[in-house]
Amino acid sequence: MDTIKGKVIVLGDDVDTDQILPGYAMAEPYDQLGNFAMAGLAGLDFKSVYEPGSIIVAGRNFGCGSSREQAPIALHQLGVSLVMAKGFARIFRRNSINIGLPVWVADMADKLKTGDVVEVDLEKGTVTVNGEVNEFTPMAPTVLKTLEYGGLIPRVRAELGIE
Amino acid sequence: MNCVERYLAKAAGVEEAKAGQDLSCKVSYVAAHDVTAPIAIDMFRKIGVKKVFDPDRVALIVDHIYPANSEKARNNVWTMKDFADEFGVHLYHRGEGVIHQLMYEKHRAQPGELVVIADSHTGTCGGYGAVGVGVGSTELAAAMATGKLDLEVPQVIQIYLTGKRRSNVFGKDLILYLGSQFGTDYLVDRALLFTGPGIDDLSVAERMTVCNMGIELGAMITLFGTTEKEPDTLEVKEIDLGSLEPQIARPFSPANVVPVREVAGTPVTQVVVGSCTNGRLNDMEQVAKAFEGKHVHPDVNTLVVPASRDILDEMEKRGWCKIIRDAGATVLNPGCGSCFGAHEGLTSERDTVVSTTNRNFPGRMGSMKAKIYLASPATAAATALAGKITVPGEE
Repeated sequence: MDTIKGKVIVLGDDVDTDQILPGYAMAEPYDQLGNFAMAGLAGLDFKSVYEPGSIIVAGRNFGCGSSREQAPIALHQLGVSLVMAKGFARIFRRNSINIGLPVWVADMADKLKTGDVVEVDLEKGTVTVNGEVNEFTPMAPTVLKTLEYGGLIPRVRAELGIE
Repeated sequence: MNCVERYLAKAAGVEEAKAGQDLSCKVSYVAAHDVTAPIAIDMFRKIGVKKVFDPDRVALIVDHIYPANSEKARNNVWTMKDFADEFGVHLYHRGEGVIHQLMYEKHRAQPGELVVIADSHTGTCGGYGAVGVGVGSTELAAAMATGKLDLEVPQVIQIYLTGKRRSNVFGKDLILYLGSQFGTDYLVDRALLFTGPGIDDLSVAERMTVCNMGIELGAMITLFGTTEKEPDTLEVKEIDLGSLEPQIARPFSPANVVPVREVAGTPVTQVVVGSCTNGRLNDMEQVAKAFEGKHVHPDVNTLVVPASRDILDEMEKRGWCKIIRDAGATVLNPGCGSCFGAHEGLTSERDTVVSTTNRNFPGRMGSMKAKIYLASPATAAATALAGKITVPGEE
């Protein structure tokens, strides 16, 4: 997998799925979900700082709350290239990988501010900021493989030889 | 092995399991609702298999947005109906109730069986001893196709209960208290297991309330075992139920919990009793008992949402609906109601809500500025009558 380079948007702890994709948007058709990404975020107008390919950097327990797969789908459709956080809620973490959104445990929220540019190598587990390299546990090879296929369903179809 | 390890080993068909081990487990029941099913159905069709693993063990339930509040919501119901017609799975699409309650009433798993539902509150079935794992739509699609779920055996945090509850303390107060002790993420990827003689003081319905909110502490599985202490758990925490007093979660986290008395007197404009957390008959009884012959405070909009049609039927037989209406409250149709901010009781920034539901995140019930407190039905009912947060039994 190539390295991911982009501007970061720094968020706090416990960013829940209602903030990522509010309840009122859950009946929206699949291909419209990106329009509602982070529409419920408390304390920040996400769209005002977002640029295509932005990287979300968060604290503890990102994605807590609902099992709605619409939440990572919305971030993915919008074009968020990576979420790195001190920790993720279990279902959100699994949903994200399953739909092809890279999420990775890396505690960088205190070291970065919104607008900083970082380069992330998930295979090596490094986050480079202004030439300084921060090291974390690399992303697991099985997870990287799923992401390279674009999610679990494309991976399973490819492995089963389904066209 | 502790009972979570024993159950998962059995589901995987292996002799032994221990925390950290990867297993492929046989699933007993699979279900999804109108928010998660449409994407799961799409994913299922993309997998390309021609049938579900066992149509009699798959249920699709319309509970989140019932009746439909938009053309889009109604289209999701049609997606589910078409799938049910094609694959022969169970469908509940006419207001029968909330998924976790309907699974208890209509498709009840045996203790130790694995239940996979595309909803975060799947742990609810741990109240009757089943192992519930909440998943998203893609994993649900895979489970529908294969009848299997891949998981890693979690470490177990054991809560050993002793003693008896005071008359104004309920399962809700216990799980809120644990939120104050563990926070929102200590239990991520772990299981929360309740054992000890104190579990006999909690009915199955109260246990379901406790298990429903394990996910708010991050838990992968929440479960009641037996009165016997289980071996091989990561830690054991003993709690004397008699030491607990009524608890309440303040805005904006289910773990931001204090005893109710610390915020007593806070003015309230809306009270909601219901949901998969606290919409069962015992919860409705607390409301009916409190409201009989009384009126809710004139400034409080009070919504009562039974978790299923069977519960609503029983409320009517017992005269509780009339008691609740005569008190100036509204009985809504069974379903998820206003819990998650799509319909049926949205807030404005001027609202302060006491709700028996499970989440009080910013914007959870509409306005980002509305303040939501989470408490038991007894606390909610006492609060509705007084117009301010009130310790039940101390009005």
